[in-house]
Amino acid sequence: MSRMGIFVDRKTLSSAEQLHAIIRCRDVAEGMGHSVEFIFPVDIRKIPQMDGLFIRARTDPMNVTYVASRMAGFNGIPVIDDPSSIRICSDKINMYCHLMKKGIAIPPTVFLSRKDISPSAVRELFEDMGSPLVLKEPSTSFSLRVEKVHDQYEFQRVARRFIKMSDWIVVQSYVESTYDWRIGVLDGEMIYACKYTIPSATFKIQASVNGHIVYCGVESVPQNEVPGDVIRLGIDAANAIGHGLYGVDIKNSNGDACVIEVNDNPSLEGGEDGLYPLVYQKIIAYLLEK
Amino acid sequence: MNLGAKTVLSRDSIHLVEREKTVHVISEEYYYKTESYYTILSHEMRNIPVAPGSSAVLDAYVVPLCLERARLNGIPVADCIISHSCAQYPAVLYGLNYFASSSEYKMVKDGASGKETIRHITNNGKYPFCYQPLSDGENVERHVSIFGKSYSGDEDVEDLARSLYNVFRIPLVTMVCIRGDENLLLSSLAPTRYSSMSNTEKSLLREYIAQQEFL
Repeated sequence: MSRMGIFVDRKTLSSAEQLHAIIRCRDVAEGMGHSVEFIFPVDIRKIPQMDGLFIRARTDPMNVTYVASRMAGFNGIPVIDDPSSIRICSDKINMYCHLMKKGIAIPPTVFLSRKDISPSAVRELFEDMGSPLVLKEPSTSFSLRVEKVHDQYEFQRVARRFIKMSDWIVVQSYVESTYDWRIGVLDGEMIYACKYTIPSATFKIQASVNGHIVYCGVESVPQNEVPGDVIRLGIDAANAIGHGLYGVDIKNSNGDACVIEVNDNPSLEGGEDGLYPLVYQKIIAYLLEK
Repeated sequence: MNLGAKTVLSRDSIHLVEREKTVHVISEEYYYKTESYYTILSHEMRNIPVAPGSSAVLDAYVVPLCLERARLNGIPVADCIISHSCAQYPAVLYGLNYFASSSEYKMVKDGASGKETIRHITNNGKYPFCYQPLSDGENVERHVSIFGKSYSGDEDVEDLARSLYNVFRIPLVTMVCIRGDENLLLSSLAPTRYSSMSNTEKSLLREYIAQQEFL
């Protein structure tokens, strides 16, 4: 019997869906003969006593989840998400660099530094990449700081806002689609697939529309209904980052599949794994039995 | 190219020095998502040996990680407790969240002042923080390290600077230390404003940038 720590914070526990998901994870682990302990930020000193650590809180190199992951790493304890994956996936500049280096298909992408945001540079970007463009603040999550811009005025307004949070920002060509594929990959193997249906009022998986938060629809899709090139691209993209657990978002609207992003700490509370009952079993086996 | 005394150490300026096939990135700070951080990252992505590494600078500025990494390398460090409430005063307090900076530590003497400080650094309890208990007679000191050299005139500080440079490879950093009767403990690593450096320290840094000083 091994001991698994599930790292959670207050925010994790404030969501009924997330709470339900981590309890399901605990039940699966116990069913496999392991014990489970929930680890809160104040319990980080307990991490060396664990045999594996599963982080279920928003990851970022500047918050306490990274401390937990790094502490596990310092002590040689298997951890999802591992520090390298957090560093890469939390920063879209870093993430796209890794994807580009491995030749993974992504939309045309440019990184812009603070000193490069001049009217002439912005004009050239529209000329080269078309309109609209998508601007991303590198550490955005849940599409919070992702904006579509149609002209130089909008570009400058959004870029000025994002550049306060990061010296570099991401500029991408816009790829239209009504849904994203989400391919869940663990250690180079697809473990689930689903579709995120983008709300008609926005182009993001989550957005504030007229003061109301709208969420994407989630539809678990059996493996035999997922295009083979989407699965291959998802696995290749995940392997470009590391060997942990990732949720790869792919657009395939015109048959030319491209990766929109690779997420560490992918959501599992929205029904993503509805048709894949072994997801938690595989995660726990990876952490405790590999 | 920057040359000796003429090197301008202006706010936010970044200098690259290549020695023994490694590019050394010299900056006032190495915070996540800053120009200096992305300068390091872009070298790493091109497989060009660079110091410090992106992983090292992230560890250096997150206090519990900085101390753990230093401790694992045999460097004496302060006891550091992650908490939502401080159980022991006096203590040195650090925020532990996206907006926290290791240069903004707070020394608190008692629960009354501690409560307000904790409220501030945790954004009203939203985030955890970490504290380092202080014993009687212990004080906090700051010393600048330039490529692992310190001009403090204190052997313990000079040893600490050398050891920390070997671990983190950060060319310019401020060592925040807790000085007791018999020992010197690392409390954190923090950015260093050029403007806060002494003339002697600036001269040494300029010599490194001009490659007059052997690393």
